[in-house]
Amino acid sequence: MEPKEQSKEKKEKLWFWNWVIASVIFRLVLIYFPKNLNLASRPEVSTPLTSLRRLAEGYWLKQLSMSPYAGSMYHGSPLLLSLLGPLTVKRIEGQPDHLLCSLVFVIADIVNAMLIRATGQNLQMEYTRSLKLLDHVKLSEKPEIIPSGDIAALVYLWNPFTIVACVGLSTSPIENLAIILSLYGACKRQAPLAAFGWVIATHLSLYPAILIIPMILLLGYGTDTPPRKLFLQRRNVEVGDNPPNDRCCEREEVVHRSEVPHVFSWRPVIHFFCWTSLWSVYVLVLCGISVKQYGGLWELFKRTYGFMLTVQDLSPNIGVLWYFFAEVFDFFRNFFLIVFHGNILFMMLPLAIRLKHRPCFLAFVYIAISSMLKSYPSVGDSALYLGLLGLFVNELADMQFSFFLFCGYVGVSLLSPVMHNLWIWRGTGNANFYFATAMAYACLQIILVVESVSAMLNHDRKLRKPLTELQDGKN
Amino acid sequence: MAESEAEVPKAKPRPIVRLGIFLISHSCLFSVICCTAGVLTLLLLPVLAKNTYISENALMPGSANPMFSSQEVSEANRLVKSLTSLDSKPVGSGIESQRLIAEYMSDLGAEISYHKFYPRSNQFHPLHFFSYPDSGSTRENVSCISHGLNTVGIIRAPRGDGKEAIVLVTPYNSLKVGPGEALSLGIAYSVFSLLTQVTWLAKDIIWLVADSRYGEYAAVNAWLRDYHMPVFSGLSALKAEICPVSNVHNELKENSVTERKINDGFRRAGTMATALVIKVTDGSEHFEDSLSIYAEASNGQMPNLDLINIVNYLAVHRQGLRVKVEKMRSLINCKWLKILGEILQSLGHVAKSLNPQWKFGIPAKDYVEGAATLASSLYYQALGVPTGPHGAFRDYEIDAITMEISSRVALNNKARKNDFLLRGGRLIEGVIRTVNNLLEKFHQSFFLYLLTSPSKFVSVGVYMIAFALLVASLPVVAASLYADAHKVDPSFGIDKSTPQASATDELSITPRSCKWLNAAKKVFLVHLWGAVVSFLPYFICQIPSCTPTTSFVVWVLLSSFSLPILSLILGSSFSYGRPSQPQKRDWTLLKSVTISAAFIGLCLMSVINFATAEIGALLMVPMCLMAQPLKLDIRSRKLRKFLRVACNLALGFLGFPPAGFFVLKGAFEGFGGITVGDFWSWLESIWSWSSATYLYIAGWFERTRS
Repeated sequence: MEPKEQSKEKKEKLWFWNWVIASVIFRLVLIYFPKNLNLASRPEVSTPLTSLRRLAEGYWLKQLSMSPYAGSMYHGSPLLLSLLGPLTVKRIEGQPDHLLCSLVFVIADIVNAMLIRATGQNLQMEYTRSLKLLDHVKLSEKPEIIPSGDIAALVYLWNPFTIVACVGLSTSPIENLAIILSLYGACKRQAPLAAFGWVIATHLSLYPAILIIPMILLLGYGTDTPPRKLFLQRRNVEVGDNPPNDRCCEREEVVHRSEVPHVFSWRPVIHFFCWTSLWSVYVLVLCGISVKQYGGLWELFKRTYGFMLTVQDLSPNIGVLWYFFAEVFDFFRNFFLIVFHGNILFMMLPLAIRLKHRPCFLAFVYIAISSMLKSYPSVGDSALYLGLLGLFVNELADMQFSFFLFCGYVGVSLLSPVMHNLWIWRGTGNANFYFATAMAYACLQIILVVESVSAMLNHDRKLRKPLTELQDGKN
Repeated sequence: MAESEAEVPKAKPRPIVRLGIFLISHSCLFSVICCTAGVLTLLLLPVLAKNTYISENALMPGSANPMFSSQEVSEANRLVKSLTSLDSKPVGSGIESQRLIAEYMSDLGAEISYHKFYPRSNQFHPLHFFSYPDSGSTRENVSCISHGLNTVGIIRAPRGDGKEAIVLVTPYNSLKVGPGEALSLGIAYSVFSLLTQVTWLAKDIIWLVADSRYGEYAAVNAWLRDYHMPVFSGLSALKAEICPVSNVHNELKENSVTERKINDGFRRAGTMATALVIKVTDGSEHFEDSLSIYAEASNGQMPNLDLINIVNYLAVHRQGLRVKVEKMRSLINCKWLKILGEILQSLGHVAKSLNPQWKFGIPAKDYVEGAATLASSLYYQALGVPTGPHGAFRDYEIDAITMEISSRVALNNKARKNDFLLRGGRLIEGVIRTVNNLLEKFHQSFFLYLLTSPSKFVSVGVYMIAFALLVASLPVVAASLYADAHKVDPSFGIDKSTPQASATDELSITPRSCKWLNAAKKVFLVHLWGAVVSFLPYFICQIPSCTPTTSFVVWVLLSSFSLPILSLILGSSFSYGRPSQPQKRDWTLLKSVTISAAFIGLCLMSVINFATAEIGALLMVPMCLMAQPLKLDIRSRKLRKFLRVACNLALGFLGFPPAGFFVLKGAFEGFGGITVGDFWSWLESIWSWSSATYLYIAGWFERTRS
């Protein structure tokens, strides 16, 4: 029996690696057709923040000892500029331009997938353990528990959005790498790594700053578990159930052990904060050195974070803000800027209270919401949260409208280039055509978030049901 | 608490949810009603057509008196005479005629340049769909021996800043100038000579004398490409290396009195507001002088409706020409169409007698004519091949039409000819004067419309209703099938009161939500195969020295082999002999996924090219709805089922051959290198039709397999 299972496991592992290698080959093949696909100039792929073309321009300016932020071309981080900038200049004879950068993005994608896989394995272990504690032994031993880490990694690698973002020369794989790194570090409870990831992610794209709440919860409570109430309920059932004898002590012990992860432990959180301040000072110093001649840190903040928050570039993208701020009267502009960004912040607290037992899922919800409401969204952001969605396959198995969402994503992602073509190249459509797909896309994301949260809550309810019945039966 | 929460949604769902449930539960009836309504609305479109109106106020057509007089007519006659006399001379006619025209132009004080181009065979490239027409990559296919020579004359507007232009195009064959071509050149020349004198001109005028030796479209397209994509020194040096620069220019300049005015370089005059292609045919009309308008560009794109309105208004109300657009002749004598028209007419009468405000009845004859025009409009838009050289302009966002003026009798009589020239010249002068008033590009009126007569159109808001009704049944049926597939699930209805049941429920949940993924995988596989099949012609036409027949055979063979290979690669299981119940469930899921894919595809197509989507929907919607597994039907030997099988097979055959035929035709013309239309349109049409094909094939395969 055992060798058979082992071979099966081996086979599955082999299968996984085959698909990973296939995805790498697929990307490399696509990299050799950059002119024909013309992905780098698509508004869905490269935004003012993530476009590599802009980064190359910034690097060029810097080489001419001008400020890289001159002329409103580049708005990213100076660290990324000094990392990727030299690669944009190097050309290899007979190879496509930006080959080295593309390779960097491919590597970033692979690392992302591996980190997602490791996080998924961690989550799955915790899931099985908590099911055992809740005495759903049958559930936990059933063969149908899907290796969610593998699934999520493959979903991330083979998602057309990821592939397009990777091949289309946008820096979003690197931004995603920072976010996933911080999540991984927090799941493994390695405060320095988590802090590093969080600081870099915030530095690169600002919006991941809201992930600090799931970070703290992850470090404090540990990874996703069913709600704490269930464990208490379980204990009550058992305490009431057992006559006072020797086994009682054992049980007590088990119960106590089961409660261990649910005590908020401050130590890693304080570690996290220390490391965060350390890393941020470090990053700020590095940034300060690199922009010293060009106006200092204040100029940097104004050109990067200010550019993100005030939505200065109104070129079309798949978000909804560009159209809105192109239409809105100038004297309302500040008000609506506050409203839109406040929107993200308003949703943070209620969600954190409701989903505090599942910090990873909370992080997924935050990322989805911010990628919907951020000022320059691209498909790279969607790629990230769709990949993370794969981590919760077991919990979200009975999500409603999954087929509808799938069809919607396929339809919107095909419709968006068509509408863009009608508007820009054919001249028969107009901006409203393209904006309509952006709105449809936003609606799809809202449905996805709402349905996944409700499916998760239903799952928790389902876990509670047998316990309640057990209790009721005794009473 | 959990129970109460579970019961709350059962108590009373919201009205919209109830409506959805109602629709889904009556999906069969709903789909039948929708399909019939869709077809009926399509037939009603000629009745619903509105009269055209000029939407842009700045145009003011016909507000000024024409300045075109008999003096210009005599100018035209002079050119025509010298052209025909040149034609009677045996030698060197090709360059001679161009030099003649250039001389006439330069006498008027226009800037002249020659544009040399090399005809290139059309290439079918799969990856060029969303990129812009490219400049450099297809330059390899030029043959150095044969080249065409366009003559371009530009008048600078006295009131303009040289940023905008109006283009006149007269295609003619430089080797043999026919009488019609000579006349069209004459009209253009006379208008051109008038425009050198007028003071109101605010846009430059470009007169392109296109050398149609290698096709009218190719010449205009080559000029437009060079106009919009300047060739820089490096590339031109490369070009010179490929083709040794022939001394055409020097040849032309020799003996030329007006040498100083002829420019070597490429002359430009800013963005083009409008382009008018002028053609003359003679002697074919029975009743009166008439004007045919051709407007369909590649991919079913149309010029702005205002342009057609202006031409129609000026031709009918100022010059008294009869304006025509293309009709499907076979439909005019169609019996059932006549009967339908009469029924609609009588219905209109009844409605009018009930309430005189209702005026939707139109005469039966008008209805038939409208339907025939609509059919041809749909046909040419769906085909995606431009109907004339104006198609090249639309790719650069320039509104253009072809005006074909034809006279009643052969133009031998001098007075007749002068009258004809006068009317034609005044019409073109009027159009140019109107367009000259334009402040921006044409944007006010419709771009998406179908014509039912020169003065009637169906706008996008109306014709989309027909399409929407037709495809509305698809998502509903898909949803109901999806719901069905879940209802059939045996463990779904089990009471979940005990923990064991909950456990089994949990067990069954995981596969349940993943089942559609399996179906989606199959559909994706078949679609991928369809995509491969439709991209294969590109690779096949790379094979050198291949006759159309062999390449077609290669194509068929490769495409039939590619399916098993693909399925091997993707590890899809083509397994047979499963128990009946899950098989049926699989089938319903598969059908649901296929239908949703078809729905998405059709909606996309309707945005790109409405006419293709409409025709595709007419073929595919019944097919998708009727598709049933053959095996199950054959097993149960009932008459009804047998009828259904027969219906399915008939639909399959009906759906397949046209698509197959069309792709075959496209492939043949593509391979032969004789395609007149640009490869964009071919790519588009082939792509769209293949998508239809592979959806059919999807339906076919699933049916025959299960």
